[in-house]
Amino acid sequence: MPGSPLLADLIEALRCLPGVGGKSAQRMAFHLLERERTRGLKLAGVLREAMERIGNCTRCRNFSEEPVCALCANASRDRQVLCVVESPTDLAAIEQATGYRGQYFVLLGRLSPLDGLGPEELGLAQLSARLGEGEIEEMIIATNPTVEGEATAHYLAQLARAGGVKPTRLAHGVPLGGELEYVDRGTLAHAFGSRQALE
Amino acid sequence: MLLDQQPAYVLHARPYRETSLLLECLTRDHGRLGVVARGVRRERARLQRAQLEPFQPLALDLLLRGELATLRGVEPVGMPLRLAGDAGLAGLYLNELVVRLTGRQDPQPDLFEAYDRTLPRLAEEGTLAWQLRRFERDLLASVGYALQLETEADSGEPIMPEGWYRYQVEHGPVACTAGAARVIRGADLLALAADQRPDAAGVAALRRLMREVIRFHLGGAELHAWRVLAAAMSRR
Repeated sequence: MPGSPLLADLIEALRCLPGVGGKSAQRMAFHLLERERTRGLKLAGVLREAMERIGNCTRCRNFSEEPVCALCANASRDRQVLCVVESPTDLAAIEQATGYRGQYFVLLGRLSPLDGLGPEELGLAQLSARLGEGEIEEMIIATNPTVEGEATAHYLAQLARAGGVKPTRLAHGVPLGGELEYVDRGTLAHAFGSRQALE
Repeated sequence: MLLDQQPAYVLHARPYRETSLLLECLTRDHGRLGVVARGVRRERARLQRAQLEPFQPLALDLLLRGELATLRGVEPVGMPLRLAGDAGLAGLYLNELVVRLTGRQDPQPDLFEAYDRTLPRLAEEGTLAWQLRRFERDLLASVGYALQLETEADSGEPIMPEGWYRYQVEHGPVACTAGAARVIRGADLLALAADQRPDAAGVAALRRLMREVIRFHLGGAELHAWRVLAAAMSRR
């Protein structure tokens, strides 16, 4: 940016956001400088505070600025059920779509040898310890229905059984409102194989 | 270069930019290729994304230019293969092995065939370890590190089934005494050469041998899948 190295720095820094290229970053920077100085300052403050203070909950590994997050600390949630997800966004999706009232554990990844992600990176020792506390009766495995997610689910199921906990897995199937003709073969084969009796 | 209906498998996928994937594919005629699949992480491309999972035989239309290829079309071939449980973990091991031991754009039709043959076999009951040993043997042979399994290293004498050997990497089997460390029975070497499954102890000995050879060719590095498999097996 001619004349202002600081403005150029701001534009470059904004490009770290998902979906933001050079053009959008420039628009954002000008917008903040021209019209939103106060809120821009607020953004800067919150951003700094969040980056410095938000870590991971020691019980579920979800983002939290406290050692134990609000969800884990909530006494009204069911402590007998634990749902294991790959990422905080998966946790948010389940919270929004279902009436689930149990606890969570966030892996922050999936077993993926080619990405260098193994049991240690996923905090599985921590998960084992939690299963060993004896409160949990069911572990809902909600990893993604991908090859790596399935391998992770298999591994987690072994872990649960070793800890005397019943493992369950999210069902796979044809999407609601979908037409069979347009469902991919893998999903259809899976849905066909795990069909259920109509009551 | 345009490649039409190239038989291929996806070995690994990682997010690339906002909506794309960077795939590592094993193709029949061009070896391992890095392939950019544009826009397949968009909600509307869910069908395509589902097809680009590992272990599914595919026919890819690719535009190969420079280091990376661009995906122009994908079609599944045949029935989808479902590798559940340990077979799935073993499949991930296979994929890591191929990615770590091959270079991009190095044509290896034998390797593609071996991979294509091995995947359905992983699902067979009770022979998982043996199927991995067979694949490792074929993979090493196709990348130019074939094992010498039928004759001794220095003398060129045939391997004796009842003899004991120590396998020296890049050299071959050398006769030694039964009690020595890291030894293997001649019968197990011959079994691997003849593609006949040995007993469980033989398969385990071959596993140790293969690890040593693979570690050597990786420059002493470990495969991540070994950690995962070891932890999974330890809970039996």
